[in-house]
This record gives sequence, structure tokens and C-alpha cells, in this order.
Amino acid sequence: MPVSRKSALAILLCGLLWATAAQAQRAKPQGFPDAPGKEVLVGKCFQCHAPTMWQDHRQDRRGWEGVLYRMVGRGALWTEDEIRAMADYLAAAYGRQAAASK
Amino acid sequence: MRELVARYLSRSISRRGFLKGLTTAGISLASAESILESLVPIAHAQGTRGIPPEAIKMVEGTGAECFAEQLIASGVKYVFGNSASEDAQFYEALVDRPQLKYILTPHEGPGAAMAAGYVKASGEPTIVMQAAVVGLVNAMGQMFNAFKEQTPLVFYSYRTDQTRRAGRDGFEEVANQEQIVQPMTKYSWLARRADMIPETVRRAFKAAWTPPHGPTYASWHSDLNDEKAYAEIIVQEKVDPRMRVRPNPAEVERAAKLLVEAKMPLLIAGDEIYTAKASAKAVKLAELLGMPVTQARQIYANFPETHPLWVGSPPAARITSLDFPKNPDVVLNVGNKLQHNSPAPVVPREAKFIDMRIDSWSMGNVMNTEVPLVADVAYGLDDLTAAVEGLITPASRKKFQERAQEVRRFSEKAKALRALVAKNPEWDRSPMLSDRVTSEVARFADKDAIIVHEAGSVVLHGFEFNPAGGRELFFYYGAHLGSGVGTAAGVKLARPNQQVICLVGDGSFVFGPTALWNMARLELPVITVVYNNHAYGGPHSRVIEKTAGGKMVQRRQFVHDYLGSPDMNMAQIAKGFGVDGEIAESPEQLKGALARARNATVEGRPYLIDAQVARVGVAWADKPWIPPIRIARERARKV
Repeated sequence: MPVSRKSALAILLCGLLWATAAQAQRAKPQGFPDAPGKEVLVGKCFQCHAPTMWQDHRQDRRGWEGVLYRMVGRGALWTEDEIRAMADYLAAAYGRQAAASK
Repeated sequence: MRELVARYLSRSISRRGFLKGLTTAGISLASAESILESLVPIAHAQGTRGIPPEAIKMVEGTGAECFAEQLIASGVKYVFGNSASEDAQFYEALVDRPQLKYILTPHEGPGAAMAAGYVKASGEPTIVMQAAVVGLVNAMGQMFNAFKEQTPLVFYSYRTDQTRRAGRDGFEEVANQEQIVQPMTKYSWLARRADMIPETVRRAFKAAWTPPHGPTYASWHSDLNDEKAYAEIIVQEKVDPRMRVRPNPAEVERAAKLLVEAKMPLLIAGDEIYTAKASAKAVKLAELLGMPVTQARQIYANFPETHPLWVGSPPAARITSLDFPKNPDVVLNVGNKLQHNSPAPVVPREAKFIDMRIDSWSMGNVMNTEVPLVADVAYGLDDLTAAVEGLITPASRKKFQERAQEVRRFSEKAKALRALVAKNPEWDRSPMLSDRVTSEVARFADKDAIIVHEAGSVVLHGFEFNPAGGRELFFYYGAHLGSGVGTAAGVKLARPNQQVICLVGDGSFVFGPTALWNMARLELPVITVVYNNHAYGGPHSRVIEKTAGGKMVQRRQFVHDYLGSPDMNMAQIAKGFGVDGEIAESPEQLKGALARARNATVEGRPYLIDAQVARVGVAWADKPWIPPIRIARERARKV
């Protein structure tokens, strides 16, 4: 399908806007309340995973802890304190109870 | 007629032209062919006046015999093939040529994977044969892998049509067969006459084995295998350009200066280091500069993971995802193709990039390159190391030593953090975590074991690969599934004195288990461990990431990922191919199974462990939903 110059420019601008929006979302993801553990989660996890993927995954603290340790097996380098903080945060924000109340 | 003979002998007309000339002059075709046959030895004698050098011999026989002779002269020991009736004369030729060993593979895909494994582990040439286009298309998945992985593997299949009756839509005939493979081969060619078969085969081996390596394809009409020919057979080394290239000295000086002046350089190791056997040279350069080392996705482990300058692989395939170093100002890539799967380059634009590879074709395609070093990386590392040594001052040496200490501190910390994987609260669960299976196998494997890895969603840890006499890795890069078992069989064929362990996912395994039969028949004692979660784990997670919050996730209805109900029993599949095996559901059962696997391999028998692995991750139900396709309701007759 031929693309006119105008259309090409529009596509380019859309792409740039999308990229900017994506960067903004990555910098300040929606649906992640400010609480201890958020900073390390955003810094460590969001370079590989989209925030929406986390929102689809609701489980208790032990479940989240298991997920985080599995990520260690995939190359993530975290201290036990960091894992603890992230598991606490995720259990509060995306635990089974949190899921039921939303 | 005299003039026609003279023109034919002077090669100013072809055989066909000669025949046409005679028949036009009123001679019957049968008589003309008889005359032509009588002239063939004279024509050849004219073409090879003088005494042929030792490396060249003239062979008279069927085209298939000439083919076999050239394979021997090209250094081929094993031929991998699947049964093909039009190769009858080739099989006949093997009877008196026991040095050419034919390995019958029950499917062309795993057969080609086995051949590729053999090439990678031995560094020796081989050929894969298929029956016409129907066999070729089965092998093409592994041809794709060989192309992506730059494996020098030669493929051959005949065309079922014959030289004088092509284009009639005959049995197994397709037009332009040799063109089908062009996008994924370095070279494809159709021999036009029987006496051109050896030349075509030589060229295929030459192209495959001239860096950058890659697969090639040779083909010819099936009747040429049966036709009599008189042809030159030439040993491969007489046509091999032996391309070993030293880098441009001016570029070497520029690269050395950048590295010496860098605040924090980073070395990315790649497969050309392994194939050039240059791991020790990469270590030497890294140690000289106190330079951290990483590796983006490749087939082999190219740098010792036990070395204090090893900082691990980037988890997100871009070096910005490394924990250390965070902002390298100079990045030296040695022999890594740098697979780009996203718009973001593997190395950020801000870093000065030095690219040392023999694969000049792909250099600069994505990366902006400050210093290109087109070279055999063994020579390139030698020259670069010498140039760096020439620039070192006492002050810079002190800087490098301090940097090495900084890298060492990170490396030790990272090693301790990686060990935390075993603190998973689900560590002892059954069915097992894939990490637990990996950990148990890593603990079990010999110190110089070869790990063939086609468990796509599993990231290995704990093996501490070391190409300098330690454990070796044979991963995959092309991702046409079903390569693991075949590759492991080929690796064991090439390295019978090393333990070979094949790690494969259940999804990958069922694409290509037939090489188990080769393991049983050839007594190749490979241990195969199937990570069996009865699912396509990778596609499950990636699809959810692409459709986050969508209907599939909300309703837990995934059509594309669940392989259970009924569950596949890989141990039973193995038994069907003559390989003993068992199911392991818990870590304790796995330990016992591994011990039995060792006993089997010590006795020369392959063994398979069907390790039951938990489905973990987003939105997996205990009993996954299955699309409601109920054919039973449509059955009106009990047949």
C-alpha cells in the first residue's frame, strides 16, 4: 500500500508520541501506589516487563516472593532485603485481597 | 562430422550441441550418443594434459560415485541422510568406500540438527542428504538455524525431474528447487552435468567453510547420479582460500587508544571467539585492561564464567540492563552477532563501539561503529593486545588494576546474589521449579560436561561454563525448534569422551525426538532432561504481555499454550525409540533419576528424564481451560 509523505509524517509523529508516552508510563507507571518497595520494583523490574503484566498477576506474598526469586534465576541481581521490600509491596498492591477489593 | 568432433574436443560446443549437430546431419540419436561416449575420455585427457598433481585424481564412474569420491576428498567422514530412492547409486558407491559412514536419520530435521551438532563439536565437515524437495523442506528448519548460527553445513538433495523431462509437474517435482533455499544459504547451485557434481560439491564445502561460515546447498537432476562420468576429484585444501584475516593495523591502533583511555570499557564476547579457539586471548586482553566482560545471546559460552572479570549476561539483551558496569564509555565486541529484537540497539549510541568480527557483512547494519576491525578474532585479539601493551604507561597500568579490583568486587557480590535463587520459598515443591531442575543438573554435571540447551524459557545458572577445559554450552540462536536432541546426538558423536547432557523443553522436545533412535542405535550415551510443564511457557507469558488486561487473561482462556490433557509421557516416547527413561516429579526423584542416568551412560546407553515442572507465571490455572471442541458429539456412527 503506497504511503503519502503526509501520512508518513503522521505515522512518524504518532510513533514519536507513542514512544514518549511509553517512556512517561515507564517512568511513572499507572496503578502503582506510592509505598515502600515501589522504587526498587520500578527500577529493577520495569526494564524487562510492562506494568500491565504485573497488574494481571494477583497472588499472596509467598507467591510474589516466589516470582521474584525466579527472576533471580533469570539474571536479576537483588539482595534479600530488596526482594523482601518488593514482595511486601506487591502483596499489598496486587495481593489476592487487593484484587478482591478492586 | 569431423568438424563437429573438433569443435566438441576444443570445447567450443556442448555435448547437447554436438548431439544436435550429428542428428541434424542424419545420424540417429542412439548412434550419436555412442559416438559422444567414445569421445569422452579423449576430451577429458585433453582437459588435464600433463601429470595431475597428487591432490587431483580422475575418477570414472556413476555421478554418484564421483559424488562419494569428492566427499572423501573434501574430508567428510559422516554423511547424515534420510532414505531416498534416487540416491541408489550413491548407496551402491558406499559399499566399497567404508571410510564414508552413512548415518540414517528417521527425519530430516533432527538429522540436520545432528549433523550441525557434529560440525559444531568437531570442527569437521559433513553433509546432510534429503530426498528431493519433500525431504529438503523438512530439513529447512535446521537450515535456517544453521544460517542464523553460521554453521558450515552442506545440504544436498536431488531433483526428481530428469535432465530431459523437467517441467512436467512430475512426482515430487517443483520448479526452481535450488532457489527455495537461497534466502538462508550462502550458496546454492545446480550441477548441470554428471561430471560437474564433484566441482559443485567442492564449491559448496568451500563456501560453507569460508568465514563467515554458513550453510550451502548443492543439487542436481536425479538421473545424473546414474549417468557415467569422468571427473576430477580434488582434495578440499587445494581449493580452500584458508581465509584468516588480520585486522587493519591503523584501525587496531585507534581501537587500542580508545581502550587505554576509556574510563570504563566493556568487552562483549561472541561465538567467533569459540570457533577461533581464542578464549584465552580474550581473557588476556580483558586482564590487561582490567575490563569487565559480558555476553549477549550466543550459542557457546565464550568466556570463563568463573573469571573475576565476568559480570554476567544482560538480562534484557541490552547492555543497559547490566547491573555493572552501568555506563561503559567504550564497548569492544569480539565476535558477537548482537541479535537485535527491538528498536533499541544492544549497545547504546553514547558508547564508542569497537566491532571486531570476521562477519563484515552484518557490521554497521544496526550499530554505529567507531572502529571496525574485520578479522579472524584470534589474530584480531593478538594484534589488539600487542597494540594496547605498546600504549600502557605506569599510570594507566595502575588505573587498570584498580578497575579490575572494582570489577572483582562486583563479580563476587553478583555470585552471592545469583545463589539466592535457591531461597525461593517453593524450592522443594513438586512438580518442580525449573530453577530447581537446573540447579540439580548443574550440581550433577561433570566438570567438563557439554550442555546442549534447547529449553527456551529456562535460563541456565550454576553451570559456570568455561570454554578453556571446563563445561561447554551449545545453546541455540536460530530458534527453529526441535534441534536439541539431534544436536546432542551429533555432539556426542564428535566428543565421545565427554559427558553430554541435553536440556530441552517439552514443547521443543516433541518437535524432534527421532534422534533418540540414533542415540540408541549408535550407542551415544547422552542424558536428556525434558523440562516438562505440559505447556508452551514462553508463548504463554509473551502473549499475556502483549494483551495485558485483555479478555484472555480475564477469562483464563488461552488457546495456544496448554499441552496437557492428556499429558505427554516423554519417558514412554523415549522407550519407543529404544532409550530408557523415567519420570521425576520431585527433587528427590530427580536426584535418583540422575544417578541412574549416570549408570546408564557409563554402560554406553542414553537415558531420558521426564522432569515434571510446575507451570508458574501469570494466569496459569491449576487445570487450564481447553477449547471446547467436542467431535464426539458429531459422531453418528461408531467407526
